[in-house]
Amino acid sequence: MTQTQEHSPTISQSEGRTLESGEREYMLDVRTTDLEVNMGPQHPATHGVMRILVRADGELTTGAQPHLGYLHRCAEKIGENVEWLQYLPYTDRYDYLAAMNNNLSYSLAVERLMGIEIPRRAMMIRTICAELNRIGSHLIAFGTYGLDIGAFTPFLYMFREREWMMALFEKICGARLTYSYIRIGGVFNDAPPGWLSEVERFCDTFDEKWQEYVDLLMVNHIFVKRTADIGVIPKEMAIDFGLTGPMLRGSGIDWDLRRDMPYELYDEIWKSGCFEIPLGTGERGTLGDCWDRVYVRVMEMRESIKIVRWCLANIEPGPVIADIPKTLKIPPGECYVGIENPRGELGHYVVSDGGKVATRVRVRAPSFVNLAVLEAIMPGTLLADAIAIIGSTDIVIGETDR
Amino acid sequence: MDFRGIYDRLRAMKAPGMTGCDEPREKNPEDKKDKGRFGDPYVLVEPALLPAFLDAVRMDAHLAFEMCIDLTASDPSTDDENLWVIVQLLSLTHKHRLSIKCLLPKANPVMPTSVPVHRTCQWHERECAEMYGITFEGHPDPRNILLPDDWVGSPLRKDYEFPEEYHGISCK
Repeated sequence: MTQTQEHSPTISQSEGRTLESGEREYMLDVRTTDLEVNMGPQHPATHGVMRILVRADGELTTGAQPHLGYLHRCAEKIGENVEWLQYLPYTDRYDYLAAMNNNLSYSLAVERLMGIEIPRRAMMIRTICAELNRIGSHLIAFGTYGLDIGAFTPFLYMFREREWMMALFEKICGARLTYSYIRIGGVFNDAPPGWLSEVERFCDTFDEKWQEYVDLLMVNHIFVKRTADIGVIPKEMAIDFGLTGPMLRGSGIDWDLRRDMPYELYDEIWKSGCFEIPLGTGERGTLGDCWDRVYVRVMEMRESIKIVRWCLANIEPGPVIADIPKTLKIPPGECYVGIENPRGELGHYVVSDGGKVATRVRVRAPSFVNLAVLEAIMPGTLLADAIAIIGSTDIVIGETDR
Repeated sequence: MDFRGIYDRLRAMKAPGMTGCDEPREKNPEDKKDKGRFGDPYVLVEPALLPAFLDAVRMDAHLAFEMCIDLTASDPSTDDENLWVIVQLLSLTHKHRLSIKCLLPKANPVMPTSVPVHRTCQWHERECAEMYGITFEGHPDPRNILLPDDWVGSPLRKDYEFPEEYHGISCK
């Protein structure tokens, strides 16, 4: 059987030959019948309930078809049936690892329709919470990715820091996972006394721990072997599939909404020069491979710490929520607001007819969009790499299915 | 570029299928019924020419909308005879966005697929098709995506009636 491979040099380069067109051709000596393997719906590596129908020819994957919807909870329909403020807790439930960011995206969309000003202290606290939540989310992404491909210990290390982060959130809003803390108009309440200094202690500790993770897993020889050159997403493909966040930056495209289309205080923070946008470089393999995507997430954690430090240095006393009525009536109109979530651009498209209830709440979920690329990158890879590729997309099923 | 600049450029290049635009405005103080219109401006495009429009604005060097961020639909109300199909475009080169709206008659909700232009539309269109009953002609894989294959009705339509049971499971 002849198999032409474009993007996935999973078979060693010594086998096969290069065609005139530049494509590589491989001869496989044994031909087997196509086998359909159901990965899921219950599989530890999908981090939720999802089924991927993998078609395999011996050790080679010839196709992959994700089947979603096992966790569909009709979030968009609920949005059309509850009041504007009542919908906020539902936003926690799509990407439950980054609930603060979800609250922020929805609040920003409604605030844009209302045209209200948010107090500066509220924006500072929002930024601190969103960035801390980004760290927590990336810790899970990185830790479980190690777990997926056989490294158990780093996962436990990362849960240790995440535990502290969740304790911080518990102190500020009482919840550990589904916060509903960032509200339309600001935040629910001010940070309790001593909270900001504890965040500072967290930042100091995290800087040390971060180096530990890099030494332990990121440059680990086995980890690099399992992820470098695997599941390569070229730049054109990344744009064609509308990938955002670390998936896009892993392919070397310099795009981050926090810098390029800033919301809240990010314009000011970027201009102060305190953080950078890490990009995939292909230093361990090919640009846009699994290792690059994980590298971007790991580097982003440190940048988030820098943003939190900037906020801690510049925060001033003041009100934390704008004066808004208990029952909101949103002026008629429509708008789309997208923000940089840990997994990419989380957008809310909201339509109001001037009443108490939304006409339409659309959630543009980054996991949903990023997952679609699997169908394109899986064919031609080895079956054993399937888990490495799925893990590197870092999806949260609550968000793909909404 | 701001919306005015984009709109002028779209008119100058005679973008296929564009019929006009809608911009936010303050409410008219003399007309008590008028509530104004807030939020984002958008351009109106003929649904039949949406793929051609997307391709044209992607290729144009001044606009360069190379990424399709979102494609979704909306049912404004039971009385309205149109569905909306809304597309959000993003230009990585020029750092600007554009919202597009297509009015699609509920009596015959059929429009061509945009998958040949942006492959990301494949899943978005599957979602629109199951949620709103829109047919995207030429779609490579027109199955349900979030709903079960045997689901009846279009759940996000405003006139949707909730089922009383599904395979013996009570939905009340």
